[in-house]
Amino acid sequence: MNLARVTGMTSAGSAAGSQAGNEPDALALRVVARIRVAVAIGVAATGSFLPGMSGGPEWLFLVIGLLWVPWASIVLLAADRATSPVSLLGGPVGDVAVLFAVQMLAPGVAHAALPGYVAVVAFAAYTSGRDFAALLATGALTLTVTAQYVTPAAKVESPSAALFGGVLVAVVLLLDRTADMQRREVARSNRLEGRSDAVLAHIADGVLVTDAAGGVVQGNPAVARLLGRWEDDLVGRHCSEVLGLRAGERALDCSKGCALLAGGVSGDPALGREVWRAGTDGRRQPLLANAVAVGGVDGSIEVVHSLRDITKVKQADEAKTLFLATASHELRTPLTVISGFASTLRSDPDTDPVMRERALAAIERRSVELTKIIDRLLLSSRIEAGRVDLTLAPTDMAPLLWERAEALAAATDRTISVKVPGDLPAVHGDAQACVTVVDHLLDNAIKYSPGGQPVEVEMRGAGDDVVLTVTDAGVGMDAEQAARCFDKFWQAESTDVRRFGGTGIGLYIVRSLVEAMHGDIAVSSVPSAGTTFTVSLRRALAEAPHGGVTPGTEPSVIREFMRQIGVPMRIDA
Amino acid sequence: MKAAVAGLNLLLGMVYLSYGLMTIVDLRRGWEKRGFSHFGLAWIAMAFTCGPHHFEHGLHIAVAGRDGGALDLIAVVVGLPAGVTWFLLRVDALAGGRGDRFISGTPRWISALPALSAIYLVALVGAAGAVLAGGADFNPKMTPNVLLLAVYFLVGYYLARTQLRNRRLIGGWSLSGLSLTFVFPTCGLMHIAFVLYAAAGTYTVDTHGLVIDWLAVPAALYFVWVVRSTIYLQTFDDWNNSSAGSIPAPAAAPA
Repeated sequence: MNLARVTGMTSAGSAAGSQAGNEPDALALRVVARIRVAVAIGVAATGSFLPGMSGGPEWLFLVIGLLWVPWASIVLLAADRATSPVSLLGGPVGDVAVLFAVQMLAPGVAHAALPGYVAVVAFAAYTSGRDFAALLATGALTLTVTAQYVTPAAKVESPSAALFGGVLVAVVLLLDRTADMQRREVARSNRLEGRSDAVLAHIADGVLVTDAAGGVVQGNPAVARLLGRWEDDLVGRHCSEVLGLRAGERALDCSKGCALLAGGVSGDPALGREVWRAGTDGRRQPLLANAVAVGGVDGSIEVVHSLRDITKVKQADEAKTLFLATASHELRTPLTVISGFASTLRSDPDTDPVMRERALAAIERRSVELTKIIDRLLLSSRIEAGRVDLTLAPTDMAPLLWERAEALAAATDRTISVKVPGDLPAVHGDAQACVTVVDHLLDNAIKYSPGGQPVEVEMRGAGDDVVLTVTDAGVGMDAEQAARCFDKFWQAESTDVRRFGGTGIGLYIVRSLVEAMHGDIAVSSVPSAGTTFTVSLRRALAEAPHGGVTPGTEPSVIREFMRQIGVPMRIDA
Repeated sequence: MKAAVAGLNLLLGMVYLSYGLMTIVDLRRGWEKRGFSHFGLAWIAMAFTCGPHHFEHGLHIAVAGRDGGALDLIAVVVGLPAGVTWFLLRVDALAGGRGDRFISGTPRWISALPALSAIYLVALVGAAGAVLAGGADFNPKMTPNVLLLAVYFLVGYYLARTQLRNRRLIGGWSLSGLSLTFVFPTCGLMHIAFVLYAAAGTYTVDTHGLVIDWLAVPAALYFVWVVRSTIYLQTFDDWNNSSAGSIPAPAAAPA
């Protein structure tokens, strides 16, 4: 069984297992419910094509079409839940009623109802147990006798009637016993299988099972994600082909058995060994790998590989190192200025008043700078810890944008061109978060256009979004830099930065806040030509989760209908 | 009268068939990204049974010289604005538009819709009495149209429930949702008008009409099953779960 394929079913399997043998056969219920609807529609349709019908047969087909078809449909809908009483009991009861109608309204074919009763009672014994089946069998016998008295033409001979009763009793007893034993076995099997499937399907580590020769026999969803392959693409291939593991610069040799198992790689086998493989983009993908031999289903030996992607751990480690260097540098610069001026003022009390004023202004300016850096660091750690609470409400961006642009233009003596239409709709956002986003993007545009190039800011309504673009004609970024610019602590010039300064968390903060407001951010950039950041925030009042009036971003008639009928939508990845 | 009933039924038939084709295109386009959609197939099944029903009915009146009743005309006229609005909004979406319009608050014309619907239903019951006054012969040939009435009202109920909940959330209405909510029950009433005239002997239920109507029954039941399974039971993910079928690329460290 392919583990990844049963991801969505494992919880159901576990639930079934927990019922300890009382769960009816859901599949049988569904299949029979579908067959019942098909038969009901087929019979009703056939009847509607028969010419010259009248009296009892015509009534019979009306009963089947107008009562049995709807009832069978209701049972079909209920059959999605195996424990629904409508599905368990209602289906057979409806069938018995229809068979009685056949005996009453079409006495010429009344005998055909008897095997029908047996089939219905047998199914009830299998799905609902002995008591209900016995009740149904009694009902079938009673109705058959009643039909004979009311409609003499439907008479069943005594030997046939006795045989009919005997068969019903035998069927009830035999099928109840069989079904009970099967239910217990299935429940036990479900419990065991459900548990192991659920564990494997939901663990974050990749698990790949191979036979002794290295052929992949099983893989969980995590390993498929980790290897960048479809689950179906794993089974049957050789492990060296799908894994391609390397230790240092040497490829692991799996030709004489599993290299991980044989200790072909240094490291603690219990904790896992550090290896790597070439990712789908050609880069190194560092992994912590482990292997253990276990007995397979048919007694053969199988090797269970567990793989953990430690790319993020490595990156975090590198980022932390870089951040410590960056933050130290950023904090040291203003502190050096503050410290220098403070000691000058202290050592020379008779400093010229003009010089003294300049020193105090510099100390003040650098203190503000220091506070800003610390504020950013604190906001970044609050975002990381998930402790940023935003109040989303209609927010008018136009005055906010003008105010921040004018303030920054005055402070930096730069030209910032602002284009905002008079009827700009309000956004669904948090006012303080919007200020932070605008401030960071403007700061960024000014900082990375050191030649004094113009900065342009535009805001406009676009469908149910409001779009903010901040464009500079500065140094720009290449595609790789642009792809990583929202990463925490990342800067385009990470080699001792510091042409432009900064801690590398500004754009990380911007993206986190925009996403928290259900918006999107994108960047387009050309080296030496400039960068444009585009932020899309939702228009106020248009935001309506679970099928509101926010139109889809694509003209899908199917999704539009699903939205209108109240199917909860998930956003495209 | 006959020309109007024939013309409007032909128009409706064309609209449904176009809608079915639109859904096929949509399903084909989204298949790679999101996989198969039960909703899409159910819609296609509905469109390609409802469309031929109206088309065949219109052709019979226009070409074969059969009668067209006033109740039929009224039923089509009542349903047409909602149907055409929904269809045009889909065309709008395909052309790059929003595919919907937000109606702020509850304007008077929306407030009046329940009362107008009730008046229409009462009038229809009264008119049914008049149509059947000369005698009626209900027979199994009318069964599929009665079943379709029930199924379409059930779908209308699901839609109305969502629209009412959304109104509370967003303080207004979606024109797309509102039009669709009215399309289904009015379609059901078109089928019941057909039944009334067939029972009265004005309309003839012939073999090909019967085949189309019987095909529409499982199509409609499949549709209701999909809706119920997705909304209430979440027994399967359809195109609401767009991430299904995609596989994230593994993270990579710099070489």
